[in-house]
Amino acid sequence: MKRAFRVPSSGGSRRDVEREIELHLQLRAREFEATGMSPEEARRAALDAFGDRSAVETEVAGIHRDTIRVRQRREWLGELRQDLSVGARMLRRAPGFAIVALLTLALGIGANTAIFGVIRSVLLRPLPYPHAEQLVQIWEDHRALGRAEPEWLAPPDFFDWRDQNKTFASMAAYGGFGADLTGDGDPESLNGLSVSGNYFDVLGAKPDVGRLFTMSDDDANAERVVVLSHAFWERRFGADPAIVGRRLTLNGNQWTVVGVLSDRFRAPAQIAVPDFVAPMRRPADSRCRRGCVTWHAIGRLAPGVSLAAAQADLNRIAARIAVESPSTNAKVGAWLIPLQEQITGSTRPALVAISVAVALVLLIGCVNLANLLLVRGAARSREIGVRAALGAGRGRVVRQLLTENVLLAVAGGVLGLVLGIAGTRVLAALVPAGIRQVQEIHVDAQVLGFAVGITLLSAALFGLVPAIHAARAGLMSSLRQTSAQSGRQANALRGMLVVTQLSLAVVLLIGAGLLLRSFLAMQRTDLGYRESGVYFSSLAFPQARYKDQAQTLAAIEDLLTRLRANPAVKTAEATDVPPLAGGGDQDMTTVPVGSTPLPGQPSTMWYRSVSPGYLPAMHVRLVAGRWLSEADRVGPPRVALINEYSARRFWPNQNPVGREFVAGHRPDSPRITVVGIVASTRSDGANAPYKPELFLPLEQSPPGFVTLVLEPARDVASLTAALRQALHEVDPLIPADAVQPIDTLVGDMVALPRLYALLVGLFAATALLLAAVGVYGVMAYSVAQRRREIGVRLALGAAPSHVARMVLGSGGRLAAIGLGVGLGGALLTGQLIGKLLYGVSPYDAATFVIVPVILGLATIVAAWLPARRAMQVDPLVAIREE
Amino acid sequence: MAGSDLFTGSLDLIILKALSWGPMHGYAVGRWIRTSTSDALTLQEGALYPALHRLERRGFLDEEWGMTDTNREAKFYRLTPAGRKALRAETARWQSYSQMMTAVLAAARP
Repeated sequence: MKRAFRVPSSGGSRRDVEREIELHLQLRAREFEATGMSPEEARRAALDAFGDRSAVETEVAGIHRDTIRVRQRREWLGELRQDLSVGARMLRRAPGFAIVALLTLALGIGANTAIFGVIRSVLLRPLPYPHAEQLVQIWEDHRALGRAEPEWLAPPDFFDWRDQNKTFASMAAYGGFGADLTGDGDPESLNGLSVSGNYFDVLGAKPDVGRLFTMSDDDANAERVVVLSHAFWERRFGADPAIVGRRLTLNGNQWTVVGVLSDRFRAPAQIAVPDFVAPMRRPADSRCRRGCVTWHAIGRLAPGVSLAAAQADLNRIAARIAVESPSTNAKVGAWLIPLQEQITGSTRPALVAISVAVALVLLIGCVNLANLLLVRGAARSREIGVRAALGAGRGRVVRQLLTENVLLAVAGGVLGLVLGIAGTRVLAALVPAGIRQVQEIHVDAQVLGFAVGITLLSAALFGLVPAIHAARAGLMSSLRQTSAQSGRQANALRGMLVVTQLSLAVVLLIGAGLLLRSFLAMQRTDLGYRESGVYFSSLAFPQARYKDQAQTLAAIEDLLTRLRANPAVKTAEATDVPPLAGGGDQDMTTVPVGSTPLPGQPSTMWYRSVSPGYLPAMHVRLVAGRWLSEADRVGPPRVALINEYSARRFWPNQNPVGREFVAGHRPDSPRITVVGIVASTRSDGANAPYKPELFLPLEQSPPGFVTLVLEPARDVASLTAALRQALHEVDPLIPADAVQPIDTLVGDMVALPRLYALLVGLFAATALLLAAVGVYGVMAYSVAQRRREIGVRLALGAAPSHVARMVLGSGGRLAAIGLGVGLGGALLTGQLIGKLLYGVSPYDAATFVIVPVILGLATIVAAWLPARRAMQVDPLVAIREE
Repeated sequence: MAGSDLFTGSLDLIILKALSWGPMHGYAVGRWIRTSTSDALTLQEGALYPALHRLERRGFLDEEWGMTDTNREAKFYRLTPAGRKALRAETARWQSYSQMMTAVLAAARP
């Protein structure tokens, strides 16, 4: 028996079984023929002896069906193991390449995973309410009155909208409710919410303990009841299970606890987890009339109703009110914002911009790797040629190369995931505290899935093209030692990849440049008041104990007098709303006497009550007239300071000092005389526009709460001690908040822009580095490839500098194309970050000039090293090489 | 097994024994069985193939395509180490079984 060679076994395929049996029959027939039968008889006899041929074939094929599959899988796994070990060996042999590739991937995958984690938690995950998509925030629309922002609701408007609409299932109102808890341990100032009786029904909230509210709790004569947040219940009462029925003294009134909220409850308000929630207990004929905007409102759309339909419905009602009460509601409409958008709207542009940035970094990284792999693939064409000659098909070679790439990608993905988990924590800082608690942002199966997905996608992105290319080039060059054609093709491909990289890097760099300039502009902005050296402390005088204004005023003055007498205090002043407090000041309808305000402007000024020394203490500049003084006491004449913005708007081309205006629109509204003009200030921060402002003497408009503005004579500790002592002497029941330096408020203002600029800048720097590495790689490789040509040129008398120029020139060409495409892309993406910019245009000329210069320089440096190497080529050695 | 008067499992043992001399293709196995049993075994020859393939699948046989003496391509079966072990074990089991049966059948009346 001779066995010349082994053919790869094909198992028990039907065809093989047929061949096997046919052979049997033929040999058996020959045996019969030897006994003297005719060939036909012999064949028949063989078939008879065999039995049912087709049944046997079927039976045998059935036996093998599973085996074939198992064997194929085993072979595949065997090859995979082989591929993996070869791949690992190749990577170990080129540690530089492996490290660069790993870092690139880890960074790209990590950043993408982190940003995905945040985006999913903040933008994608539905709000924690049943049928959250039906919830909308309801505002008044005062845009026709010149107010760009959504406006709160006047209670009468709310009641009309609530009662007359046909598109809402329900509608609830709420407002903030700061209250001092006394009589049960240390006094404490609490952040609460005051809500209409159906508030929790609209949100679909359930209590953990006891009950929530009903409409009857909302009545002015109802018993005062309150529900506590889970966190406050645990903190203050140790999660006392017998909390229901307990009486609390809030602002001097007795409130009965009826329930505790679930710890998953989040209020769709600035304070996501209020300490307590109380019913408004307001009768329909509230003292606050139309035009008195004090409430927030949320509504739940009836099933199947679109936002547009609800908007039209409320506008119809608003138009009717406008006809009935033209003096207050003439141009007032309704403004509906889906709750999800309301809560995450401000974060969205930043998250989108940053996710685009990280996606670009990953893309650039992948392109870079593809490039490196192309170069490596060319260097390995010998090895691949040998493999091909030994019988490996192109598919097998591609698989081998792909396995290496997947190996890289998986390692990069694992590293990236670690980075991503860490990065998620950093990025969580981007999200303002509120309904989306930072601790809700975490890594889970979905994020892991995303990381795995982009890892594989990256592997395909950077691995497939080079692998196919290398396999093709390798197979070809195994036949012909040098393949000029495939070399040229590879160079063109690499050039294209570098151009892609450069243009993506330009987009990123310009984005980063714009954000950086925006941040610097914001930091340079003169706020118009001092940015350091003073401290704020907020106090509230509960209405229950401070029944009239005189009493409150006396307490504030007593407090200021005691503080000023303390040697630790240099200055003590007061205002109702400090700057940078995140809004909170109120606007007042103002009608100047004997003047026509600029048309098409709001007829309101934003007012603050201030002690006479407050504005000088804040270093606000007096432009005309005089400061407020201690002589501006209760009673007429009522006086005020206005800012330059108000002056220009209400008394255009006139000197407002000495002029009067009516504050309010009621017949008994007081007349107030302007005694001075101060410079306009950025009360709401560097990125907020100037507002028409009005400063009233504290004595003539005492508020129920006050913020002390303190300047220490020595240090903060003694200042705090002085405050605590003075407060204890005036009213031991008023809790003292910690003093807050204005520096932190100013710092907070630029914290987010700084973070944006930092993050995008980091990504842009990475992109620049990667692009430079890409340029270097391509140039270095082409120089190495053209050594012989360069040698010939040099031998024929070309100056080395000429050769260097040639190399630099081809680098420059790539850079020029990349820059051109990139600048075009940057112009398109300017729109995207427009919302994040302050004081700089998305088409800022300086940025669009500087970035190309930086990138050009980086390209020159990257191309210079290979160019120098080209100059140093020894013609003799280079020519003799081949 | 269709068309066979064999005891269960004995065909497998016979095949293993046939291949213990060296690799054979299916026809040769059949011929060896016929000659070594002097054609006493009534066996549909087709029944051989499912048995061969089943033994192969159980890992007792390896297959290998090669050339017959007459230079024709054929599938050869060869005992694997597992097959050789099975042959030893089955032979021992068969011998003790047949001795036992013989003894039982020859036993005297109780």
